[in-house]
Amino acid sequence: MIGWLRHQKHAFTAALHRLRAQPVASLLTALAMGVAISLPSGLFLALGNLERLAGDLPAQPEISVFLEAGASTAQKHVIAERLKQADIAAAHYVPKDDALAALSTAQDLADIAAGLTHNPLPDAWVVRPQTTSREELVRVADNLGKLPGVAETHLDSQWADRLQAALAIGRTGVWLLAGLFAIALIAISGNAIRAQVLTRRDEILVSRLIGATDRYIRRPFLYLGALQGLLGGLAAGGVLAIAGEILRGPVERLAGLYGSVFHLLPPTPIEIVVVLGLTALFGWLGAWLSVTRALRQVEAAR
Amino acid sequence: MISFSQVTKRYPGGHEALSGINLAIEKGELVFLTGHSGAGKSTLLKLIAAIERPTSGVVSVSSQNVGRLPLRAIPYLRRNIGLIFQDHKLLFDRNVIENVLLPLDIAGFDRRESLKRARAVIDKVGLLKREKASPISLSGGEQQRLCIARALVSRPALLLADEPTGNLDAGYAADIMAMFSEFHQVGTTLVNATHDDRAIAALGGRTLRLDHGKVMEGSA
Repeated sequence: MIGWLRHQKHAFTAALHRLRAQPVASLLTALAMGVAISLPSGLFLALGNLERLAGDLPAQPEISVFLEAGASTAQKHVIAERLKQADIAAAHYVPKDDALAALSTAQDLADIAAGLTHNPLPDAWVVRPQTTSREELVRVADNLGKLPGVAETHLDSQWADRLQAALAIGRTGVWLLAGLFAIALIAISGNAIRAQVLTRRDEILVSRLIGATDRYIRRPFLYLGALQGLLGGLAAGGVLAIAGEILRGPVERLAGLYGSVFHLLPPTPIEIVVVLGLTALFGWLGAWLSVTRALRQVEAAR
Repeated sequence: MISFSQVTKRYPGGHEALSGINLAIEKGELVFLTGHSGAGKSTLLKLIAAIERPTSGVVSVSSQNVGRLPLRAIPYLRRNIGLIFQDHKLLFDRNVIENVLLPLDIAGFDRRESLKRARAVIDKVGLLKREKASPISLSGGEQQRLCIARALVSRPALLLADEPTGNLDAGYAADIMAMFSEFHQVGTTLVNATHDDRAIAALGGRTLRLDHGKVMEGSA
């Protein structure tokens, strides 16, 4: 165990030396990795902010309950009582006169409303159920539709469904991109490590002759790959921080134009740790693939 | 400790470096391999250290058939062998002491103990004042002494030397041979390919003369 720890310490120190020995090459590799990581990470952050924005909107589906023109006061009372039950989160009554008034103020419908000789609109309730599941919403709407005095119900969840579907596509897209860029990261790390292995060919051959295992030879390269991945993750953090600062002003101005106050949120500490851990892991993986292949080539060329 | 049974080594292209060799070297024995260039001395040493595999026959070291040793087991065999190469095989991006520390780092030795051992052996080969020097700044003889220091630092049970004093002046060659003698006296097995008749005469031991891949004679 102590010998194993000594080997780890020795390999880590050797990796740090190798990183310091070629500062420009190490920096360029880290930057290439950083740019590769910043795109999916940036999209992930953008999606998170978009979901937050969508969450602020009344994305909750609503049911419009239209009453019959001749609904009695008793029937209206039964309906109002039913809407106080636990499966209903909120409900508000819209008298037909209020509905016509709202129609008259609507920009595109004002002329139509002005041409009406009588109010054709029914009294209505706008109901927000507790549930968001499509099946449950249909069940609640059917149930309300069977109440005496109710002419028809209209379930209005389509736009919310569309928004959620778009966000789901966005999430899937981000994961696909993240997968592709993870492969790019492994390739960048592998290439950098391969060059290192080839420049250290003599050292590898001599080390083998005096008893070094492939694991011993591989270890400093693995640490080097992980360190480069970590540096790439930090570079991506820098790229995103700069991009965030550049976008902050325009986004807040746009939100202001819609009468909203919206601030771009930075990644959480957990997200930062996860991204750094993953970039280190991909750097390590790229190094492992590269050094294992290169060791075989060195052995074959001996 | 070492035995060769009907060992033949043929290189790609058909050159037969060793032809049906049979020999045995006991633990703690001192053996000189002599013979002209291309007689098969280096090949014989490479077979013992599993750097090459025999084309046929059995090479056995410490009861292990090294010709059939799995690749992963070879490093552990080599950690018990001190190798002194004709072309030194030094690392020029490391200084003298770092070159000597390499076998101890590989074996996972404690750093303080490693430094103590490394300095002691560097002192023995007369390079202590140059421990921070790059091997590239050393003369051929100094590089050979550095190679010897690296082979001796892990106190191997078996020392294989390929022309270890070939590049040294008489004084240093005698010192190195005295060092080999010390190791031999504490039980280290030594197989030394050499043309140095003075060393052979001074140290005694057994001589095996190789000629065109065959053992021609042996003397004690």
